[in-house]
Amino acid sequence: MLKVKNLSKKYEKVLAVNNVSFEVNSGEIGVLIGPNGAGKSTTIKSIAGLLRFDGEITIDGKPNKSIEAKRVFGYIPETAALYESLTVWEHLEFIARAYGLKDWKDTAEVLLKRFDMDDKKDKIGKELSKGMQQKVSICCALLINPRMVMFDEPMIGLDPKAIKELKEIFVELKSAGCAVLISTHILDSIAEIWDKALIMNKGEIVYVNTRDAMLASGESLEHIFFSLTDKEEEKPA
Amino acid sequence: MKALMFIIRRTFKNLFKGVLKKPSLLIGYIFIILFIALMLVASFAMPAGLIRSGSPEFFTGIMSLVFMFMYYTYIKLGIEKGSTYFRMADVNFTFTAPIMPNKILLYAFIKQIGGTILFLFIATCQIPNLKNNFAMQSYGVWMILLSAVMFALSYPLISMIFYSWASKSSERKKLLKRLFDVLALAVVIVFITSIAKTRSFVDSLSSVFTHPVIRYFPVIGWTSSIASAAMNGFTLEFWIGLSGMGLLIIGTSIALYRMNLDYYEDVLEGAEYFEAAIKAKREGNNLRFNLKVKNKVKQNLSGTGAVSIFFRYLLELRKTAFFLFLDRSSVMVIIAAIIFKFIMPDESNVLTLATILFFAAYMLLLTQMQGGIGKELEKHYIFLIPASYAQKLFFATLGEHVKNLFDGFILFVLSGILVKAKVETVISCIIAYVLFGAVYTYGDILARRIFGRIHSKNVMIFVKAIANLLMVAPGIIGGVFVLTFTESEFLMLCFIGAWSFVLAVTLFVFSTGIFKNLETVN
Repeated sequence: MLKVKNLSKKYEKVLAVNNVSFEVNSGEIGVLIGPNGAGKSTTIKSIAGLLRFDGEITIDGKPNKSIEAKRVFGYIPETAALYESLTVWEHLEFIARAYGLKDWKDTAEVLLKRFDMDDKKDKIGKELSKGMQQKVSICCALLINPRMVMFDEPMIGLDPKAIKELKEIFVELKSAGCAVLISTHILDSIAEIWDKALIMNKGEIVYVNTRDAMLASGESLEHIFFSLTDKEEEKPA
Repeated sequence: MKALMFIIRRTFKNLFKGVLKKPSLLIGYIFIILFIALMLVASFAMPAGLIRSGSPEFFTGIMSLVFMFMYYTYIKLGIEKGSTYFRMADVNFTFTAPIMPNKILLYAFIKQIGGTILFLFIATCQIPNLKNNFAMQSYGVWMILLSAVMFALSYPLISMIFYSWASKSSERKKLLKRLFDVLALAVVIVFITSIAKTRSFVDSLSSVFTHPVIRYFPVIGWTSSIASAAMNGFTLEFWIGLSGMGLLIIGTSIALYRMNLDYYEDVLEGAEYFEAAIKAKREGNNLRFNLKVKNKVKQNLSGTGAVSIFFRYLLELRKTAFFLFLDRSSVMVIIAAIIFKFIMPDESNVLTLATILFFAAYMLLLTQMQGGIGKELEKHYIFLIPASYAQKLFFATLGEHVKNLFDGFILFVLSGILVKAKVETVISCIIAYVLFGAVYTYGDILARRIFGRIHSKNVMIFVKAIANLLMVAPGIIGGVFVLTFTESEFLMLCFIGAWSFVLAVTLFVFSTGIFKNLETVN
């Protein structure tokens, strides 16, 4: 579903992402993990079509910046940013219009209820807390019934109930055949749900493996993560 | 496009509904609308050239200088950070939606037309002053407003084009910035050379900025030619300017979405910068926003309890100042006040420094009413420090008084030398300036205590500005009476100073409860 091939992104002289390639298939939860500054957000923003890049990114076989690809993917940014003067419901209505959705209202109601936002439908963006804004952002991305969805640090600011709901949603999306890519640096938050781990460090993918293969080898994701990302720090200055 | 228009429509509708729900806010907006309406009516109805009839060259000179400064500032910032019509909500929701980028650009353009209202408002406020000094054409007001619209529409487009080219490498950025600096420096050198010859600011402004090279210079010359039609009528220059700006706006828009459909990255940094700037404005920190912060300065933290707030403020100030406490806002106030003195006709010669004091106090109102204390209240530290409310309020604001004393000292010693004023007049001006600052500072705090954190920062600024003007006005009126009877500028300044002192102390007393009543916003 999501194919990233030889992705590189340079900011002036800094190579933020260097020749990265990976895939996330339908019905698979991929987690992009790495320390701060590893290049995760740049990779996610490149996939979301917000940055220019070298390489090739396709979603459902179409270039990621094409209208066809955009129709099928959802994106939840690291920092939710809502329209200050639109209500929660109007955000959802806008998404429905922008994506040409029909019969979206029931889905919207269900999503709002799951995130305890059903009583906040008429609140405008700037009246919401950061956590609530994040919930609206998630609802908007899920409203389109995406075939591929990306979450950039999705748990930040959410309350325990919302985190629990979100984890259930990850699994439901997977069951429905959706490809899910989650970028995070908090390993515990995705410990039980991931299918494919992609560890990034210094702009490169340094490890790719599936959960089954990793369990078979008897290793833990945490152990691998620290062994790959701590190497430089161990060296004497 | 329908989905995008939905955002605009609903935003407008919800803003309107929000205002209707809050009576205090409604009164604020009605007040602003009446004020703008009054300004517009006054602008159109008042006769032109009441005070004097400035020459068309002088008018064109002012317009060219203003637009040159504005384009230079905005486009240079655009090259550095990317300029944008977009907010982060647009980036997150519309850029990822299946909508053509050209439609999104069109949507942004429609939004920006709304954004020009602010420029129109600023321009409108200057019109009565211009009309007083220049015999403008009957349609002159429209021409000035048209030039403000042209500026507001064109600078983000030009910045985006420059940014998309410069963002490819740091060398390109440096090259463009240097090019702009060299051009600005060339203008300054030519201007200073002219002043050395003519010994007159007005004559130099009239001759340098009406030179054909500047009059027909793309964008700057074109925009000021449109504004200058207010005096000169529909000349060839006006038509060239109007056609040039029209072609530029249409051409750059087409270039942006035909040649570079992939403009999202170019506006991303600008959108992030825009959000940060809005946050800084909310914190009352916009004048210090994006200033370069030095890592080390010769200023240590000192004192205990509430006193430590004062020394922390000084340390922050030194880190962003050019020299001691001289920062961007000081330079703005000082230069504007001195230029004002040279531009204003002063036939009476009675008021030497007072003219500068009044203008500087007006400029200080514009810079200080943004509310520096807001930055302090956004953080929790001041609420936790174990000291009395009065101590905390005093030391949290003492830094502003020190800065005003420093700025006032430079401004009035410098202008005192220029106009050969007496020492006691210089000292009384410095004291009066500091006291004006104190009135604005404590007036701001009292307004926060009364209104809390209301819906719109802009409405709050507007209400505070009017309230401050009303409070200092009796002192100035009384001062004019003192001047009439005594013909002493020094006594007039003493009266104004005394009034401001009483006012500042009263406001301070009423403001002390702020830490008891106001809640932190975070």
